[in-house]
Amino acid sequence: MTLGYTLFSAVALVLTLGLERILRTGVFRDQRFWIAMAIVGFFQVLVDGWLTCRPVVTYAEEQFSSIRFGCPDSSLFSAGGMPLEDVVFGFAMIAQGLMWWVWWGRRQVDGSRD
Amino acid sequence: MRDSEAVERFEYLILLGLCLLITLPLELLLGVRVYRQPKRLALSLAGVAAVFVTWDFVGAGLGHWDYVSARISGWSWWGLPLEEYLFFLVIPLCGILAYEAVCATLPSVRAWVNRRGRSTRDRTVR
Repeated sequence: MTLGYTLFSAVALVLTLGLERILRTGVFRDQRFWIAMAIVGFFQVLVDGWLTCRPVVTYAEEQFSSIRFGCPDSSLFSAGGMPLEDVVFGFAMIAQGLMWWVWWGRRQVDGSRD
Repeated sequence: MRDSEAVERFEYLILLGLCLLITLPLELLLGVRVYRQPKRLALSLAGVAAVFVTWDFVGAGLGHWDYVSARISGWSWWGLPLEEYLFFLVIPLCGILAYEAVCATLPSVRAWVNRRGRSTRDRTVR
């Protein structure tokens, strides 16, 4: 199979939207969610950028779109940077975390609501 | 082993540690309550980690990605490096802290923007 990571990240995105249909947290209509996502996105460029530029994590060339975000010109770095799929992956992961956070918050599992 | 190699081995762990370190002031100084709702946090992270650790098993197993052995600690369970398990806890945790920080500060940011907007209009009128 080729483009396996591409397929998996698309599936993760669909699953995330599906989870929202079940949990009905309303995060996608919440401006605060998108502001938080933009902040996280900025830090993802730094953290995931480091992991994929050094590299710490490597990707099989035939398994993703070959679209990469590139790296600063430095002797520290010897790889191509974040694949496009990592952005989708990161979004799905952070979104699911926030959806569960809002969902469990409504259930007041830690006693009184903050 | 050279010193730089010893550091390199903990590079991924240090990076995750830095993520926790730079978001800690949100809880301690800004006063968001994330670590202080431990059950809510644990349940939320469990929901994410269950899905994404599974994906990591499959993705790594199918060879979608791999880890540079010189830059990970070498501790691993069931074929996944320790760092990967931590990644799926640390990064969503940072996302939750960011969201709570936005929730905590957005009303005062809005008020500040409105005040500035009004005073600019006032000056224009005068």
